[in-house]
Amino acid sequence: MTVAIVLLALLGGAWLLAVIEGWVTTGRLRPGAPMLSGLAYLGRESIVPRSPDRVFFEAAPVLLLVVAVLGAAVLPLAPDLIIADLGTGALFVNAALAYVLVALIMAGWGPDGAYAMIGGWRFLGQLIAYSMLIVMPITAVAMRAESLVNTAIVGSQTSLWNIVYQPLGFVLFIIAAMALAFRSPFDLPTAEGELAGGVDAEYTGVRLAVLRLARLMLVVTLASAATVFYLGGWHGPLLPPWAWSLIKTLAVAVLMLLAGRYLPRIREADLMRWCWTLGIPLALLNIIIVGVLILVVP
Amino acid sequence: MYAQAFFVAVFGLAAIGFGVVVFRTSSMVRSALALLFSQTAVGCMFLAMQTEFLGVLQIMMMATEMSIMAIFMVMFMMDPGGLGGMDMSHQKRFSIGAGVSAAAVAIAVALLSDWGPVAEQVADAEAQTRALGMELLGRSMMIFETAGITILTAMIAATAVAIPVQNLASKDDKEASE
Repeated sequence: MTVAIVLLALLGGAWLLAVIEGWVTTGRLRPGAPMLSGLAYLGRESIVPRSPDRVFFEAAPVLLLVVAVLGAAVLPLAPDLIIADLGTGALFVNAALAYVLVALIMAGWGPDGAYAMIGGWRFLGQLIAYSMLIVMPITAVAMRAESLVNTAIVGSQTSLWNIVYQPLGFVLFIIAAMALAFRSPFDLPTAEGELAGGVDAEYTGVRLAVLRLARLMLVVTLASAATVFYLGGWHGPLLPPWAWSLIKTLAVAVLMLLAGRYLPRIREADLMRWCWTLGIPLALLNIIIVGVLILVVP
Repeated sequence: MYAQAFFVAVFGLAAIGFGVVVFRTSSMVRSALALLFSQTAVGCMFLAMQTEFLGVLQIMMMATEMSIMAIFMVMFMMDPGGLGGMDMSHQKRFSIGAGVSAAAVAIAVALLSDWGPVAEQVADAEAQTRALGMELLGRSMMIFETAGITILTAMIAATAVAIPVQNLASKDDKEASE
């Protein structure tokens, strides 16, 4: 039952994001559009490029989808609405999301296309930039909760949300999450203007539909992670816990979407430089501040 | 208990299977990712053996490490896609001999060691993680910190070596001329 609810929430979130994305881009609110374009994808020819690495080509979209679902499986929507409340939940989110990279390398290498391959390897560089900014803020979150269990992390924010307790960590995490979900302005692996779609370029039909769905789900999973780690998870007045989780997750996802719309695509080298020379020292500072706060403030 | 043994065996066989694929393919990326999935299967063995932290850590670390290895293999091999019929094995007899004897030693160690009684109860994942943390920052701190510093030194040294000497020389020249 819980599995079905979480999957439905993921699908619903992906649908809402697609609707909002369409609304912001075209100025028209069309709730049916994601379903229609999904159906259209199913009807289209799904072309296999010449001499592909067939295993990678077929596995990549599915792996991306599985990764997004696995990440969501350890994030609680409500105290008892979680698929698996692992003892190492916060670490598991990282472990699952590390395979986004593997999926994109597969999607890049598989179709035997130049643009796709550049996109795939680009994401490897992107990971070198953002990965520390995912792990180190989560470390500070786990420090406060004195646990890697995600429900305990939400529990630690009963009196004060982490966004107030460690705002620096929240900002770094959101930026890194946008880079992980390769949303604009970090959409280097797909970069429509310069790479003609990059890792998406050679995918058509049903495979592209899976890839698009997986990407939207990934955003929802990351927004849900931000909710659990920084926005007090299910805590909130009046409404039931699951409703708060959904509202916050959607708000973070929309924030990520809108922030990306008004920023130009960043250059790979700049991303790397800023993440390493500015991001990592800030993340370390965040850990130190949180450590001092934990020791000094009772 | 039997279910656990079953899953350990299944993931163990998967690890060996992917390990074989590493050497059976000529594509560098396939080879690297086969090694990745072999290591992931080892991580799943840890999970099946209820050592959750180690399992999740193994699964997480390998994804990035093997992907980085893949790009180095693509950069440095003359036929990264394996489409040119390149044979990447060499010293075949010696390799087979070394492989068979290493496997024999590993199996002998597994069978002949006294592993002690099988634990009936294990601490839950949270308690294990805490115990591991206490170990890493207590008794074993020196070993791990030394290893960490050594790796960091090696990374800095490797980066220093990789920086083109030309730039430094031209900068020196400029300073000398000023």
